Parts: sequence; structure tokens; C-alpha cells
Amino acid sequence: MPVKKTKRRVVITGTGMVSPLGRNCAETFDKAAEGISGIDYITSFDTTGLPCRIGGQVRDEWLAAFDDRAAGRLERYSSRGLRLMRTAVIEAAVQARLNEVKDRERVGVSLGSHGENISVGEMSDLLRFYDGRGQWDIPGLIKSGNYSPFQLYLRKPDTATSILSMLFDCRGSSLSLVSACAAGAQAIGEAARIIQDGKADAMIAGGCESTLNFMGFIGFVLIKALSEKYTTPQTASRPFDRKRNGFVMSEGAGAVILEDLEHARSRGAVILGELLGYGSSADAYRITDTHPKAEGAFIAMTAALEDASLSPEDIEYVNAHGTSTTQNDLVESLAIRRVFGERAKSVPVSSNKSMLGHTIAAAGAIECITTLMGMHRSIMLPTINHEFRDPKCDLDYVPNEARHTPYRRALSNSFGFGGQNACLCIGAFEG
Amino acid sequence: MKADTQVVITGAGLACSLGKDTAETWKALLSGETGVKPVRGFDTADFGSRVAAQVEGLTPGSLGIHPRDARIMDIHSLLLMMAGREAFMAAHPVHSGMLGEEMGFFAGMGMIDYKIDDLMPAVLKSLAPDGSMDYHTFYARGYQEIHPLWPLSVLNNITFCQVAIDLGIRGENSVFCPHADGGMIAVTEGIRNLREARSRLVLAGGVSEKVSPLSLARGHLAAILKISGGTGDSRCRPFGEGDKGTVLGEGAGLVALELRSSADSRSVPYSVMISGYGHACEPLDNGPAPTARVIAWAMNQALETASLRTDDIDLVIAHGDGTLHGDRSEKEAVTQVFSGRGDLPVFSSKAALGHLLAAAPAVDIILGKLIIENGIIPPVLPEDTRQEDAGRGGPGFNLVTGRPLKKNVRKIMINCQSYEGQCSSVILESVA
Repeated sequence: MPVKKTKRRVVITGTGMVSPLGRNCAETFDKAAEGISGIDYITSFDTTGLPCRIGGQVRDEWLAAFDDRAAGRLERYSSRGLRLMRTAVIEAAVQARLNEVKDRERVGVSLGSHGENISVGEMSDLLRFYDGRGQWDIPGLIKSGNYSPFQLYLRKPDTATSILSMLFDCRGSSLSLVSACAAGAQAIGEAARIIQDGKADAMIAGGCESTLNFMGFIGFVLIKALSEKYTTPQTASRPFDRKRNGFVMSEGAGAVILEDLEHARSRGAVILGELLGYGSSADAYRITDTHPKAEGAFIAMTAALEDASLSPEDIEYVNAHGTSTTQNDLVESLAIRRVFGERAKSVPVSSNKSMLGHTIAAAGAIECITTLMGMHRSIMLPTINHEFRDPKCDLDYVPNEARHTPYRRALSNSFGFGGQNACLCIGAFEG
Repeated sequence: MKADTQVVITGAGLACSLGKDTAETWKALLSGETGVKPVRGFDTADFGSRVAAQVEGLTPGSLGIHPRDARIMDIHSLLLMMAGREAFMAAHPVHSGMLGEEMGFFAGMGMIDYKIDDLMPAVLKSLAPDGSMDYHTFYARGYQEIHPLWPLSVLNNITFCQVAIDLGIRGENSVFCPHADGGMIAVTEGIRNLREARSRLVLAGGVSEKVSPLSLARGHLAAILKISGGTGDSRCRPFGEGDKGTVLGEGAGLVALELRSSADSRSVPYSVMISGYGHACEPLDNGPAPTARVIAWAMNQALETASLRTDDIDLVIAHGDGTLHGDRSEKEAVTQVFSGRGDLPVFSSKAALGHLLAAAPAVDIILGKLIIENGIIPPVLPEDTRQEDAGRGGPGFNLVTGRPLKKNVRKIMINCQSYEGQCSSVILESVA
């Protein structure tokens, strides 16, 4: 391998979030620090008869309104996922004073998202005009007026990226990542690479997801990925617990403003932290299973450490992917043991998904932010619902209560369906 | 550019309507053939555009894919797999002892649409006696008629992961969506990855979406498709006059990239390097294309990264998708950046291959490599349109039409753009 060149340092100057726990970063973190769950029975669609009827919903009143003409023009093209993301980006951009950056060709957007799902009503309307043998009655469909043409825009992931570019006047690189649960973390990692390469001074980066609708939800019901055995919604997501039985689907968005250190300094931006490293990998194993020896997860974590020029001994906390599925939590625990060796049991590991549920493409971004906020407040968020010890999950999962401990360097894991993995190495800023 | 940062192409894989591999496609292009034909597979009677460049005769069995895996694959999966295998065969990284974790993979993926037939059984099971949808039945039982693996087939990254499994790639990766800019960003992320020593070899490129009723509907809604009755010459006319609009195509392109020093140490042949790149985004207010300003900005950024001047460029492979707004913005940007170079040859592959969306940039990079190697530029269209175009003021550059143009080409600028305002440019250079 060739010798690496000296990298530009990438810092975080703004964060924004909307989640089942709160309308912004502070609300979400404060409630998570108290071990409060954001999971409840789903009200956004009829779950009658489904084996899982719970999720983490974001309240509609928390979403930023399209209250000016420029934004209003774009409202009909905006999926719920984008509305969540816009809310998060507004918070992050205000904190970073992003509007003060003059050269907008050097400000870009990197977004992990997957577009909106078709609704059952739209699907049944479509099928009324399809004969099942490849023939469509297009004039009839158009005449019916029941299928909105804007649905096609809502499905396209790059529509959201492009709209964010317009709303926040970003004319630089525009990336739309679709790597499932790894998309949010990958969006942040790839944005950092663009800054390190000198192609941008600042990037809006993060992820959003809203699959709490019937067609989005039943996909995960069908592959039996969701928790189906729970006594209360709030106790269903139980990462690393012996009685875990699937993840809980949630919606949300997380946004960070990444910036070249010198650029941030030159304009007097407040530096919240540093993105020290990023690693990604593929399991290349089976499309429906994670690698049993945690190869992909191990490669991503070690790549992030190498990118940060750190060793495992430098890491004081791991924000786990921790989905609450049997398979992920076993494999992730194994990966952490492989990375940290004998020290593994003394490294605190916790899963935000125990409280927030799994926000899919948003998860990596939200968890990057909570990790950073924990550094500022010297709080490691807990893994709640940790009641029954799993002998194969034998690490320190910060069970049930937040831990008041200072830490300055952490890893945040995101592992996606199909076997795409990402890991971010996040640090407190050290000038 | 320092030798230790030069990124060369050591393998190329291409599958499209004109050929199942690079050689077949190149031969057909030089012959002036087009893959654009009346759409097969579904009735287009009510669509304004009834033509596309679809791929024929490709089955999972022909690629040795197990029926179990084929259940969640479609034409785009097969195309990406074919392109990946061809690129890997040429670069043969495994023969050099390269490990899976030393190889990266970056790709742009076209839209993955719901196949209505997959959902039909659930709806039929949920119909009330009067033929209306009984939602309670659907929510309670009907949905169970959908195949359990259906959700995987509509995830955007599953095809990407299937190819990673097929080739044993475990290193750094990312997947972008869904237009040409996604495919180009995949290539440049691959270059960064190599320069930062995160991978020894990177596979990069993209795959189009499947031509389907939904893809045609999407194209019509975006007002980008050429309205055609399926008769006469239905291919698009990049930078031409008359009926404007593009034609969809199916295809995939992947290049194996590595540092020149790595290729030398493995004694793998190469002929070109990618030396510059630029990306930008600014949608037009009145049409589905970027502004000329940001296209020019991305082109200049690519030149600057490659430390080249406009006079150094021998050929532009334009995005040239034949759309009114896209061609207008690109034409303005090219004439602005290459001011005074009316003789500058410009090529576009879209008349022959259709618009391959996320696959288009890698396919154009592969065609650029072949142009440099063979000293010949295929015609955009088989008929010579230069006099006709000149009579209308001309495009401001030398659009290669009629016969292939023999020319010693050493440096090429390749452009691409999306319908949402994104645009990218790369520079391909001969290393001979």
C-alpha cells in the first residue's frame, strides 16, 4: 500500500435531529439520557392483524412548516423523509451559521435515504388499471386522477437531495446514498472524504427515513426482522438482551454540518467535534445473513480506526448498531471482541435503538450526533431493557441507566441489509 | 500529477443493448448500429415514447445464477454482474493474491421499482364481492400472499451486495442513486479511496434501471422522453434540432481502478488514467437539468484537478442526452469552457445506447478508453448532420456524425448530469 498523504481535518460545526423522542438534538438526548423509550403503538396506519404493531413515530407538529414561498413551491415534491430531514438540517444549519458561508459552489449535500413507499390505496388504484398480463390502461389511470404523479418523485432518493441543495443554496457535490441501514453513516463518511479531497469547504450530511406506512412496514414483517414478542411497546427493543426478538421500526432524521477545520476557524465557527475516521466494508457472504465471524463489521471498524490513525486502546466508547435482532447483536458483539481483544469487556458499548428504535438510513447520523453530545455532557447513553443476560453477548452494554463518564473518542457502527457496513470514528475537538 | 497518485483502468466491463461485453459493443458502435427499438415486454400503446434500448436474451441461468438467488434479481442485477465479471476477468486481482478486504466497490444504481405482479396476489386476495379493495382483509391476511423475499428485491442496495458476494469484494464501498451523477460520483469516490490507500483495487461504475411502465411514466412526468410512435429513426438526437427528448436504455458499466504503481507491480496492462474530476449541483428553474453555470464549474474543476488547460483536451464525451434543457445547458457550458474551439470533436453515446442513467458515466469512460486505444471516434449518428446543424447555427463544436472519425486522442473530458440539477465531469488521459 502507498503512503497516505496528510489529510485535511474534518470538524462538525452543526447538528440537527428529529426523532421519536424529540423535535431536536437536545430533547432527544435529554430523554434518552433518562432511559425513556420513544416506542409506542403505531397510529400512522392501521396495524390490525399484523404481528408487530409498534414503532417510533415523530409527531407531525415537530416538522418544520413550508412557510415561505420558495419552500412551499417544493412541498408537493417532498416525501415525509425529506420533511424530517429538512427539520434536522434547519437546526444544524442555524447552529453552524451555514448561511454565512459565501462560496456556495463549495458547499454540498450528502444524504442517505430511500424515497417514499407506495401507499396501499395508490397500489390498489394502480391495479385497477392493470390486467395482470402486462397490459395497462394508462388513459383510464390518468382520467381517474387517483394516482398522483408526484408519487414518482417522492420515490426517487435524489429528489430529496436536490431539494435540500435548493433550500439551503448548496451548489457543490450532491450525493444520494441508498445503502440501507448504513446509508446515514456512509453519507457522513463520503462527505468527509470530499472535504478531505479539497472539493468542498462544508457539507450537509446525514440521513432520513420514514417507513412507518403499511407497504414500508410489511416488508420487514415479511422477512421477520421486526420484534413480535413484547409485553409493552417500550420494552420491545432490547439490544443484546437474551429475550430480544427483532428490531422496532422508527422514523427520524439526523444532520451534521461537516467542515474543513481551517475553513471553520477562518469564519469563527464553533467547533463541536471532529470526524476522525470512517471505514466501510461488505460482508460478501449471504444476502439474507450477516457474516457469522463478523468479517464485514470487523473490517469496517478497523478501517475507521486506521483512517483516524488510532488504535483500539484509544477508543473509550462504542455506539453500537445494536438492532435487537438475534443475529446482529451476536455478530456485533463478536466484532467488538475481535477489534478490542482482551480489553473488549471493559469498553462501554450501548445501543440508542433500545430507546429510539431503528431509523434505518437516519440511524447512523442520529447515533453520530448522540455520541458527540455524550462527549460534551460526559454521558454515555444507556441500553435500556437489558434484563436477561445473553452469555454470547458478554460486553459492558451500559445497561438501563446512563453512565456519567467523560470520553473523548468513540466508534459508531452501522450495518446494513445485504451486508454493507460503515463505522465512524468521532472525537472531541482538540485544537 | 505525481506517479504515486495516478489512477489507471486495469479492467472494464460493459453490458448493454448493443453487446454483452465491451468488444461486442465497440464493434457495433463503430458500425453505426443502435440498440433503440420498439419496447418489448409490455404494451406501450398509451405512452408517448414507445422505444428504448433494452437488453435481450439475458437470463439468470445464462450467468450460472442459482434460482434461489434469482428470485430477488432482475435485469439490472444481471447486467451489473456481467459487467463486474468482465472487469474482474481483465484486472484479475485474485490471481495476484489480492484479498477481498483490499478491494473496494462503488456504484450508482438506477431506480428499483415495485413490480406490480409481485403485489397483485395480495390485492386479489383482498377484493370485496363488489370488486373494491377490502382494506381490513388486506391488512389482516392479504399481504401474506406477497413473497417473503419481496422486500429485498426493492431495496436499492441488494443488487450491489449480490455482485459483491459474486466477486468476493469486502472492502470499502458505497452505493449512490439513481442518475448519471450517481455513477460518476461512484467513480470519483473510488479514485479517492485508492489515493488514500484504503483499497488496492476498486470496482466502480453503475447500472441503469429496468425499462418498465414505471420508468417510462417517470420519464414522461419529468418531460425528458422523446415522443415517438415506434417507427422511423426513433433514437435521440444529442444537440440536434427537431423532436427533443431522450430515450431510455438498459446497461451497466464497471471499471477496475488501481494506482499505477499497483498495476505496474502486478504487471497488469493499462492504457488510460483518470486524472481529474469535478461535481456541482444547481437545478434550472424551468427544466429538468443543471444550469450551464454549474456544468461549466464542474468541467473547470475537472481541468484544474488534472492540471490541464482547455487546449489540452482532444475530445469531449458529452452527456448529450437529446433533451431540450439538458442539451441547451451543456452546449452553453461546453462552448463557454472551450471558447473559440469550434473544431473540438464531441461525441455522445446516447443515440446508440439510449440513456443508461447511473451506468452512463462508466460506459462513457470505457468508450473513451477504447477511443484512445484505437484512435477512432464512433459517430453519434450514422447520418452526417453537420451541414444540417450548420444551417441552424451549429452546436458550436464538431459533433461527430456520419462516419467514425480517425483521430489521435490522448485527453478526453467526459460529462454527465441528472434531471435534478447534479452534474459531474472527469478527465481521461492516455498514459502511453
